[in-house]
Amino acid sequence: MPQRPGSDHQFKDPEVQSVKPRNTTLQALTSAALVLPGLLITPGHAAGTDRINFQYSRYQEGERNLYGAPNNLKPISADVLHGSGIFSLTDRTKISFGYTQDTWSGATPVTTTPLATNGGNRPYTVNGVVVGASPILNSTILLDRDLNPIGTDPLTKQSTGVVDTRSVLVMSSASPETRRQANFGLSHERNESAVNVGGGFSRERDYQSSFGNMGGRLDFNQKLTSVKFGGGYTHSQVGAILDGDSSPYITKTAYTQQIVNRGGSEILRGNRQDWIANVGITQVLSKNALIDANIGYTHSNGFLENPYKAMSVIFIDPANLNKSSITGDVRALIEQRPNIRNQVALNAKYIHYINPFNAALHLGYRLSVDDWGVNTHTFDASWVQPVGSGWTLTPRIRYYSQDSASFYQPYLFSQQAFRRQETDSLGRQIWFHEKNPAIQYFGIDQFNLVDQNGNPVDGFQVNAQPKTTSFDAGKLPDNFSSDHRLAGFGALSGGVVLSKILGKGVALETGFEYYTRASSMQIGNGGNNSFADFDYYVANAAVRFDIEPTTSLPMGGSGGSSESHRHASSHYHHKIPPAGIMFGHMLDKPGDFMAGYRFMYNWTGGNMMHGTHKASDQAIIDQGCGNGSCQFTPTFMDMRMHMVDLMYAPTKWFNVMLMPTFMDMDMNLRQLAGAKIDTSGAHGHHGAAGHETGAIGDTYFSSLIKLLNVPGHRVHANLGFSAPTGKVDIEVRRTHKEDGGLIHFGMQLGSGTWDFTPSLTYFGEKSRWSWGTQLSGVKRMEDQNKSGYRLGDLFQATTWGGYDLTHWLTASVRGVYTWQDAIQRDFNKFSARIGPMDFPANYGGQFWDIGLGLNARIPGGRFAGNRFGFEWIQPVKSDFNGFQLDRHGALSATWSYRF
Amino acid sequence: MTATGLIGMKKNQHVVVKLILLVCIGLSIGCVHVNAWERGNLAKSQMELDPHPLQSEIQSHNYSSREAAPSHKSSAGGGGCGCY
Repeated sequence: MPQRPGSDHQFKDPEVQSVKPRNTTLQALTSAALVLPGLLITPGHAAGTDRINFQYSRYQEGERNLYGAPNNLKPISADVLHGSGIFSLTDRTKISFGYTQDTWSGATPVTTTPLATNGGNRPYTVNGVVVGASPILNSTILLDRDLNPIGTDPLTKQSTGVVDTRSVLVMSSASPETRRQANFGLSHERNESAVNVGGGFSRERDYQSSFGNMGGRLDFNQKLTSVKFGGGYTHSQVGAILDGDSSPYITKTAYTQQIVNRGGSEILRGNRQDWIANVGITQVLSKNALIDANIGYTHSNGFLENPYKAMSVIFIDPANLNKSSITGDVRALIEQRPNIRNQVALNAKYIHYINPFNAALHLGYRLSVDDWGVNTHTFDASWVQPVGSGWTLTPRIRYYSQDSASFYQPYLFSQQAFRRQETDSLGRQIWFHEKNPAIQYFGIDQFNLVDQNGNPVDGFQVNAQPKTTSFDAGKLPDNFSSDHRLAGFGALSGGVVLSKILGKGVALETGFEYYTRASSMQIGNGGNNSFADFDYYVANAAVRFDIEPTTSLPMGGSGGSSESHRHASSHYHHKIPPAGIMFGHMLDKPGDFMAGYRFMYNWTGGNMMHGTHKASDQAIIDQGCGNGSCQFTPTFMDMRMHMVDLMYAPTKWFNVMLMPTFMDMDMNLRQLAGAKIDTSGAHGHHGAAGHETGAIGDTYFSSLIKLLNVPGHRVHANLGFSAPTGKVDIEVRRTHKEDGGLIHFGMQLGSGTWDFTPSLTYFGEKSRWSWGTQLSGVKRMEDQNKSGYRLGDLFQATTWGGYDLTHWLTASVRGVYTWQDAIQRDFNKFSARIGPMDFPANYGGQFWDIGLGLNARIPGGRFAGNRFGFEWIQPVKSDFNGFQLDRHGALSATWSYRF
Repeated sequence: MTATGLIGMKKNQHVVVKLILLVCIGLSIGCVHVNAWERGNLAKSQMELDPHPLQSEIQSHNYSSREAAPSHKSSAGGGGCGCY
């Protein structure tokens, strides 16, 4: 069935979970009757209470086996931020939304080659010391008469003289890239049926897809049987940005028609469509068991390749076949998959209640078959164990096995020359005029050429080119891939989920999983591709907010909903400051809890500025980069921060706050007019690929202390700290045989230091008017972070006035003055330093802004008590330190809810 | 589609049909009537088809970027390229 990620988990009150086996009939009746509408409802259907989820997840892969070649590349890691919510529009209709953002970086296999080539992962040295390996895609290999590879030393690449049939992945690194996905859904529940529709899109620099789906459910047999059905369609556009470093070495002849050149980058374009249909049944087997089974069909067509994966083909000139040792010409060709794929998957899940433990055993099996030959089996088991006080512990184990795709090969042989010199009927080599291929010459080299009439020609004067013929693609298989995901292998994984319901509608959840892939674990025969074995772990943490907490009380009797409304509205007499102000208000009632989300977007772009004026390119080149000269300058930079606000009031004069953040940034550069370009290290920056970073930022926590609270006037102090949870050592990938080094200061995700973040806030109000002022600062408490620098201290003063347009909507105007110091010290590691953003003096300054804001509090109805705030910060005047991008503005958006 | 692919597919379809039959038989003999007041255990959160949807979403995203089986997310769509 269509699932909307995490949008509608049944969020049971702890009391449901702690129901003991000694259930009285009355208890059973009550609980059953109360939750019946939710029974058998699969994820994705409207059920239960309205809810918001936030989740952060970290994926970390282990190192690949390079058989002795130095492996200095960081393995793949991904940081994923997910937010979703589901809200009731009416009693029976719910709307849901979800947003997922993942940023990944690290080393990924480009191709597979025999270990015996003189390329592959070729070591490079710095000052005579081997420090890493570069991916060399085209190479040569020595083969014996039976085409067995003759080994080479992994470091020196000298022949060992011994047959070595092992293969190895050729690894290349990638700078961080971000994907964003948004989706929505609408569902309507009837007494014995439900319908739902959904859709969304996913965006990456090189891959965009849009999708839609619809489905339904019919209940029979007093809801003991449910039949579910659904269908979906996804359209994807591929615009793969071919890596400027490796592209010249990859053979792309099969895709010539699909490659366009844009902004100095080669873009491989394609389209892909996926249709999906499924039907399933959920059946209650007994009062303690149920089964769920469904069958799904997926049809895909179009560009199904992974455009970044190449197949290594060993070309052997047939003339050399009978020699005792044969030199093979290893070339990397973009993989070719069939344009159609049909997949059928069968899922079955059995769930059994284990009475003595009040636990549930979940057993699942999944079979999938397809016309690529990839047949898979998945077995999984989990044990969901409530352990009292709202805690639930769920250990889980999974085994997966897949057969290899029929066209998967680690590498291929082709008995033809990759490129062959053409000869005429007399056996003479054919050459041609550089500018006019129709004019041909003949001879063994450029010194000894004759034209068609036999007259000698100066080969250098006409710049004669040898006439060659490329390999015959018809002699290669139609389809080939060495992507190890299409190989035969098995995988074993296990993990645990721990969740805790805090009460007051808040629950925490954390999960961990370890996964190991091994070709030898494939069912039947070992996959014979152990060179591609790897492992990963995933850790995640989530917080879930139930925004109508009292409605799901199973034993609490009637009136939950109205109670929650009264509960919600009773607090909301105080106005709150504009959305851009942090630490601006306090909770008044001991035991109160507030959850919120804050989004901040900061937009810079346009002109480069120096002090208060626009800077010319030449001025940047000459003065922007310390003693050197600048080559590049930013064209824009976007910074987005997602923050979860958690606030709790132990007493009425003292509140505590915890605010984890997630940052993501993207920036593009341009070459400065008149700059002298040093080719090293800089090329990865222009063309279609800018760069992106994204992951957890710094974590703020603070205590708020009420100093004054008289009618109409309030003053509170905030003593806060920020913990350096954001990374400050993000690197740009190695390109053009040069390390990228640390990415620009402004693209690092945190400060890297423990910071003190105090503020003092005054807030006044009278009838429809409100006003306030806040002084705040950031003081770095360490001299330097682990990358050697520290961000400048910051001071901010702001004052605002607000007017209630209606009893639920407030407009505000605010003035802001900000001073920030330049960055202190400097990177202690290599950074390419190609532009002003790589120099500490080009940060900070004095800034004056005007903020225009709206605050809304939903006064009644289903969403009563939810608060929303928006504020646009418009720069008025800036005095930048050094050379910096001009400021376009900033947006703050907040949501909060008190429990 | 290659000839071997077709044969493989047919063989597999055979397996699928058998499995469906098996499930149907299982259902028809396994079902008993469960009255509303006997559904207390079934209604517990640990008995939900997916007790941890946030977790299963993450798991399936990772599996589908590392394995060749059809997306676990079935008809929901999305998921991006996974081209790493």
